[in-house]
Amino acid sequence: MTSLPYPYTIRVDAEDKVRGKPIYAADDNRPGLLHAALAVSTIAKGRITDIDTQAASAVHGVRLVLTHKTMGAAKSAGFIMGGGYGFQSLQPMLSPAIAYRGQPIALVAAETLEQAVESAHLVRARYAEEPFGVSLDAPGVEVVHQADTPLKNFIPEIASGDADQALSKAPVKIDAVFKAPPQHQNPMELIASVAEWRGNKLTVHEGTQNAEAVRHGVATALGIAPEQVEVISPYLGGGFGQKNSLQMQTLLAAVAARETGRPVKLVVPRATLFHAASFRPESRHHIRLGAERTGKMLAAIHEVDAQTSRHDLFPGEYTATSSRLYGFGSFRGVERLVRTDVQTPGYMRAPFEHPACFAMECCVDELAYSLGQDPVALRLANDTDTDVATGLPFSSRYLAECLKRGAELFGWTRRSMAPRSMRAKDGSAIGWGVAVGAYPGLTTPAVAHLKADEDGCVVISIGGHEMGQGIRTSLANTVSRKLGVLPEKVRAVIGDTRAAPQHLTAGSWGTASAIPAAEDAADAMLMALAEMSPAGIADRTPAEILKAAGRRTLEVEVQRKPPGQPDEILGRLRAGLPSVAGPVYRSHVTFSYIAHFVEVVIEPGTRRIRVPRVVSVADCGRVISPRTAASQVRGGVVWGIGAALRESSEVDPRYGGFLNADLADYVLPVNADIGSIDVEFIDKPDPVFNRSGVKGLGEVAMTGVAPAIANAVFHATGRRLRDLPVRIDHLL
Amino acid sequence: MQTFSYTRAETVEDAVRSVAGAGPRTCFIAGGTTLYDLMKLNLETPNKIVDITGLRDLNHIDAGGHSELVFGALARMSDVAAHPQIADEYPAISESLWRAASQQLRNVATLGGNLLQRTRCVYFRGGEPFACNKRDPGSGCAAQQGNDRGHALLGGSSSCVAVYPGDLAVALVAFDAKIDVLGVTGERTIAVEALHREPGTSPNVETTLKSGELILRVRVPKTTMGRASTYHKIRDRESYAFALASAAVALDMDGDTVRDARIAIGGLATRPWRARAAEQVLAGKTLSQRTARQAGDAALHEAKPGRNNSFRIELGARTVADALMIARQRA
Ligand SMILES: Cc1cc2nc3c(=O)[nH]c(=O)nc-3n(C[C@H](O)[C@H](O)[C@H](O)COP(=O)(O)OP(=O)(O)OC[C@H]3O[C@@H](n4cnc5c(N)ncnc54)[C@H](O)[C@@H]3O)c2cc1C
Ligand code: SF4
Repeated sequence: MTSLPYPYTIRVDAEDKVRGKPIYAADDNRPGLLHAALAVSTIAKGRITDIDTQAASAVHGVRLVLTHKTMGAAKSAGFIMGGGYGFQSLQPMLSPAIAYRGQPIALVAAETLEQAVESAHLVRARYAEEPFGVSLDAPGVEVVHQADTPLKNFIPEIASGDADQALSKAPVKIDAVFKAPPQHQNPMELIASVAEWRGNKLTVHEGTQNAEAVRHGVATALGIAPEQVEVISPYLGGGFGQKNSLQMQTLLAAVAARETGRPVKLVVPRATLFHAASFRPESRHHIRLGAERTGKMLAAIHEVDAQTSRHDLFPGEYTATSSRLYGFGSFRGVERLVRTDVQTPGYMRAPFEHPACFAMECCVDELAYSLGQDPVALRLANDTDTDVATGLPFSSRYLAECLKRGAELFGWTRRSMAPRSMRAKDGSAIGWGVAVGAYPGLTTPAVAHLKADEDGCVVISIGGHEMGQGIRTSLANTVSRKLGVLPEKVRAVIGDTRAAPQHLTAGSWGTASAIPAAEDAADAMLMALAEMSPAGIADRTPAEILKAAGRRTLEVEVQRKPPGQPDEILGRLRAGLPSVAGPVYRSHVTFSYIAHFVEVVIEPGTRRIRVPRVVSVADCGRVISPRTAASQVRGGVVWGIGAALRESSEVDPRYGGFLNADLADYVLPVNADIGSIDVEFIDKPDPVFNRSGVKGLGEVAMTGVAPAIANAVFHATGRRLRDLPVRIDHLL
Repeated sequence: MQTFSYTRAETVEDAVRSVAGAGPRTCFIAGGTTLYDLMKLNLETPNKIVDITGLRDLNHIDAGGHSELVFGALARMSDVAAHPQIADEYPAISESLWRAASQQLRNVATLGGNLLQRTRCVYFRGGEPFACNKRDPGSGCAAQQGNDRGHALLGGSSSCVAVYPGDLAVALVAFDAKIDVLGVTGERTIAVEALHREPGTSPNVETTLKSGELILRVRVPKTTMGRASTYHKIRDRESYAFALASAAVALDMDGDTVRDARIAIGGLATRPWRARAAEQVLAGKTLSQRTARQAGDAALHEAKPGRNNSFRIELGARTVADALMIARQRA
């Protein structure tokens, strides 16, 4: 079955979405609802010495003002990368300590949103301020070598051969430093929670990528049993890693709901989001690349400084991907974390891989030019079947195919190599650039429950979250093909802790984890159907078989864990803890790959940089839902265009926090910035990775876009711009 | 948001009477796209709002007159932008609206409100803890030692360097447009160029309007130069962004020779900025890449760079030069 490509079916929830049917937490308007608003810290670090809520409490309609003094017994749910459930270990409003500007200091719940907002404006705090630093180079920040921390136990440094020696002997060397700024996910759906108590049971409605962490996290924070908490999250209006663990607002809403005896809705406004949720940390990359004159890569050393918070070590995994791009003769990766006074950064789409590929792939372009070799040819010549870091084979790797097919679609042979050699009729400089990207092949355990009934409906309940990536459609396609029912007859129940354990959906492991489990469940169902049907099941639907057997429904449940993982991993799944395996498995290493080809056009006068054309070819194993997959890649490319040319969270060192905290000043691309994006897939299954042959796609889509653009800008202008974003400012 | 009272004005006199003398916390509301935004940021805290959108006689576009284009203050940005005669005969005005905000905003925003939009300075809009003389007179100006990539190069003072962000006013200034305003003492006429103040020592006072004065209409003297005009806007993305630099230019050509040029620049100054020195550079000259660039340099001649915005001097000069070449094609 897996050998056949899947058809181009439409998104199963497309019509509902267009009609505005899915209800998100922020849309909730249940009877009795109180609206909450936050007051936030105006200082960058220190302590609250005095907080005055009198005026705030006096506003008409206000039912509750919560501060650290009135939160009652609650504790932090811990940091998700430190054994806990939260995006950071710091839960605001549990103490007077202020770790960053914008940290919530009070919550108001009122009958209307307007009353809550007015009241929150009236909360007055006095502080004792302390010195702070928000950027990598700020005075007073603390640099930590990741290898000297317990993180080394699950993120080992990448080292293969003697890279320093090989580099020193290499006849051709590139040595360059690249910078990527902090960036913030800005999903259309703001982070929001609705909390409601019935007796001692709490229900949370919230768009999240990790309903189980919200459930266990709130329970931990409140000191109640997880059984007392339900989390319902049928849809997210975009997650991009921002909603991948317990956010700070859920506990606040839960406490407010408990104190008032009313359901409470807390929607975190855009400006607060820049300080209240995770973001892509600032990073700096020093790369040294050594090669033979033939172009054979002998050594690469990739040293990274990446921002973390004072209170948590957000692990850096940059070199885990840069080391997999080529058959480097030797490699040494160094990850340093820089403690700064911000909320803890997190996993924004292709969190490490976008900046890591930017740095490495720009370097490889520099190498191509210093050798006078075609950038595609140089990449092909350094392709490998064997992972440099471990010596293991890759389970599948069609990167060369991506490059060759992309070059063909793009018309790469018509490119002239010399910078500044291609021009449009109006005098605009044209640049063609290429770069590749990769992303680890990760998997998690999953429990799948499948139910078929005599009316022909099939319901699959499984761990997973729909954030627009199309997991409902992938599940429908898979179950429909296995059981011979129409995709529209398959309903997926996901994002619901009542239905199945809900592992974090992130890291591009959603499809690779859920689809094989769904196939297992379908097999279990086919076996059960065969048992009840002596006449055989060929060419018969489950409904027909059930009817013939006089049965109304049939239910099966399976659980599946990643290869080589102990059974305990299923316990972690049920406890809401991250239970991720890969990309290194016992006998192989798995990555997804992509190649991007980009055309930029730069005006002669005002030097605006446009991207009229992108061709992207991806190797994500078997494509389960071609339509939503292509849409994923286009979205990744759009984000890459934003990351290369526009997005940056600015810091004013005098004030801390982030400055351009709204959608007017944090410049995301708009439709008018986007030209044609042609997407193709290699669509060859990876049967070693899992039975369905699928690898991840959502994250790899974005990797490599930014360097392809920067390389194209070099081709157009002859200038190497190594700091993102590349703007008009740099080209005049 | 604070509680406020809301009334709808029935007549222009009624509107003026309700606002004039009622104190600074009473204001008109038209499309609301600026006012509500600033209320949500707690930067405007009116206790009384007088809705003028029912004033039918302010909602007109009259392009057929002999000597003037007349736009009612309530004409919507989208309607003026899409008006075929304006697009044809005064492309600079049409483009200044097309290239502003988004279609949704243009569908509700009015010309009167557009002229009175306030700066996008992040330190102003960000509220506490940023020092800002415009928001909190005497508190200082955070921008001048901070990130001033988007701040003014022209017309600033040590008190404030906030850019006037609007596009339409720049085009209007190029065409010597005027507005008629009604106050308690009657109607008067102000050149659009004289509407916005430079910050000087009182950046909180942004216009020359008196309390309660209502903009009735915008009048643009008709000129054949309108056809050879453009509004050229350079920004960080292709749409839905304010100008890093913009230029409204109009030309009167005699063959290759410039008989008359109008040049105003936007996004670079604390108010819509007519660049007369640049106009003079061109008068009587052959228009070429070189003279266009000289005009651009003249327009930015007095620019004072801050910490991060000096690139916009070069950008501004090139924007003017490119705008002139675009307008030339239309002459
Ligand atoms: C996200 C965003 C992007 C934008 N981008 C741009 C852009 O690129 N370029 C651009 O030029 N603009 C831009 N704008 C600004 C937009 O054009 C203005 O908000 C709009 O034109 C204001 O018109 P309004 O009718 O909504 O004004 P309102 O919000 O109703 O009023 C604005 C102010 O004018 C006063 N007022 C209104 N009418 C009158 C009158 N007749 N007489 C006296 N006082 C009056 C009100 O009291 C208020 O103080 C943007 C706005 C937003 C929100
Ligand atoms: S430039 Fe003007 S508006 Fe901006 S901070 Fe300074 S005083 Fe305030």
